[in-house]
Amino acid sequence: MSGYDRALSIFSPDGHIFQVEYALEAVKRGTCAVGVKGAKCVVLGCERRSTLKLQDPRITPSKISRLDSHAVLAFAGLNADSRILIEKARVEAQSHRLTLEDPASVEYLAAYVAGVQQKYTQSGGVRPFGVATLIAGFDPRDDTPRLYQTEPSGIYSSWAAQTIGRNAKTVREFLEKNYDVAQAPESTEDCVKLAVRALLEVVQTGAKNIEITVVTPGSIEALGNDEIGRYVEAIEAEKAEAATQKHGAASATAN
Amino acid sequence: MDIILGIRVQDCVIFASSKAVTRGISVLKASDDKTRLLSPHTLMSYTGEAGDTVQFAEYIQANMQLYAIREDTELSPAATASFVRQQLATSLRTRKPYQANVLVGGYDVATSSPHLFQIDYLGTKVELPYAAHGYAGFYTFSLLDRHYRPDMTEAEGLALLRQCVDELQLRMPVDFKGVMVKVVDRDGARQVEF
Amino acid sequence: MGSRRYDSRTTIFSPEGRLYQVEYALESISHAGTAIGIMVEDGIVLAAERKVTSTLLEQDTSIEKLYKLSDKITVAVAGLTADAEILINTARVHAQEYLKSYNEEIPVEILVRRLSDIKQGYTQHGGLRPFGVSFIYAGYDDRFGFQLYTSNPSGNYTGWKAISVGANTSAAQTLLQMDYKDEMSVDEAIELALKTLSKTTDNSSLTYDRLEFATIKKNKDSGKIYQKIYKPAEIKELLVKTKIVKDDDEDTEMKL
Repeated sequence: MSGYDRALSIFSPDGHIFQVEYALEAVKRGTCAVGVKGAKCVVLGCERRSTLKLQDPRITPSKISRLDSHAVLAFAGLNADSRILIEKARVEAQSHRLTLEDPASVEYLAAYVAGVQQKYTQSGGVRPFGVATLIAGFDPRDDTPRLYQTEPSGIYSSWAAQTIGRNAKTVREFLEKNYDVAQAPESTEDCVKLAVRALLEVVQTGAKNIEITVVTPGSIEALGNDEIGRYVEAIEAEKAEAATQKHGAASATAN
Repeated sequence: MDIILGIRVQDCVIFASSKAVTRGISVLKASDDKTRLLSPHTLMSYTGEAGDTVQFAEYIQANMQLYAIREDTELSPAATASFVRQQLATSLRTRKPYQANVLVGGYDVATSSPHLFQIDYLGTKVELPYAAHGYAGFYTFSLLDRHYRPDMTEAEGLALLRQCVDELQLRMPVDFKGVMVKVVDRDGARQVEF
Repeated sequence: MGSRRYDSRTTIFSPEGRLYQVEYALESISHAGTAIGIMVEDGIVLAAERKVTSTLLEQDTSIEKLYKLSDKITVAVAGLTADAEILINTARVHAQEYLKSYNEEIPVEILVRRLSDIKQGYTQHGGLRPFGVSFIYAGYDDRFGFQLYTSNPSGNYTGWKAISVGANTSAAQTLLQMDYKDEMSVDEAIELALKTLSKTTDNSSLTYDRLEFATIKKNKDSGKIYQKIYKPAEIKELLVKTKIVKDDDEDTEMKL
């Protein structure tokens, strides 16, 4: 190591940029976020840090933010860092409209956010953003769902379903097992359900610690606690049923 | 010789702006829209140096949209007008100020009331029941002074606007190609047949 | 020992993805005088405990924990007062600039976010240490009514119904959680704030010269918002009224 991880972001002799790698660790310490592309929608879901008793949910900032009328961003990592990225992306989105007379495509926004993140891995005297993001939405006059991920290094990539943050590995394995790339969830409900199920793999406390936003062409809608609660209940009921069936089968073979 | 007029009635604001784009002695276009929607309930119409006006209006529009995305709420017409005034006043003190005179009006959803503001390129802002920039005022204020009532309905407001436009057509030395009329009320902005 | 290499210079990530400078700033705040904010339906109470006192300190002019940021926002400080003053100056300028632009009072969250963004900047840009200060913001705007926020050196901010920052904050928070009720009145909130502080203070008792106090209230009839930072004599009175200090306290007697 010998100091190559001290000065901000420079190569070590074996080719690592330690600050960027460490920033990824900050992402892994952040609460989990998932994105799932449906046939006609994209769903973003987040684990909400356990709301403490006297917290005011009315005015506590959400982890899913609107970038423009057609794109939203969810993040994992340092909250304060994410605000800076979101602010820059929002200004860019409007600036794009102003100069091009057209909203930016979702990929443009993802590339822009990633570009800002990259700049902070190579400029003097700054540390990288301790943030990974999922950016979801629809391009103007287009009904193809879009989902992108950006990372502290400045890489961006397109996904059918993706997760970032704490326990991302568990959730990704779940998604890989349960998401059929050849056949995206047809209805919005199925898509939300898959996102909630994925989050429930790692979120213990259920609906009150989950945030869900559904993006469809022309609309961005955050689901209420009650609605998420209904999904959670339905999923838990299914799970319980599956468990009893399994149990029944197991006892049958035992006999 | 552009015409922009605004009338605030009981529960909406009516905007009228001439459809002609002229350059020198030629009419270039007869279907121009001299307004920009700043937020769902606030509209701005403008007149002045060609180019400056659109540049300024779209800049304000982008800023209002940015505010709405950031704060998840729209600014009131009064706050928007204040912002516009501030931008013009700042611009006036630069080397190349925006040559734009505007009317900002809309429906304040929080207080359920319509508002209309007249702002000129010098940064003068006045809230008014009816307003105009340029020559239009000279021909129409006498009619408006005589017939305007704050409790007019939208239909009555449009009828009064009809009188104003007839007068303009009668007395103005140029053909301004009619007016485009927009109404902003609690449901937002819409263009009306006129 | 392992962390020594990462804590000496500017704010950079440790191998575990942590920002030690920020964590140390938080640590320094956990030794600062406690501040408490309690929000109820028609007002907010802020109370803060001052650590250093002396009989020679001019009580009337030595407010160091509570500041008005605008006509409808007051802030309580825990941490380095010198750092806080910088941010408070900036906040006051921002509040006035918003007023100048929009001819409306700055919404509370916008101001909180602006300050938090500045704090964030000091955790990311080279050569700077983070601000060693946490705030409790108490404010009012037309959109959300009364609001109570905290922000810390990392630049995070959160909304609360009741919150404490500084020394003994976990003890104070437990007490607040036990006794806070949604339907409390401002007077009850005042009492709860003082009781909580008096129970968590490191000193034997809570005296007026250790205490700073402010309220924001709404006048029921006019709907106007009133902010008040209490004078030492008024704090004295308050302590007597809430029976935290007895009226015939010998300390008071002697000073008379």
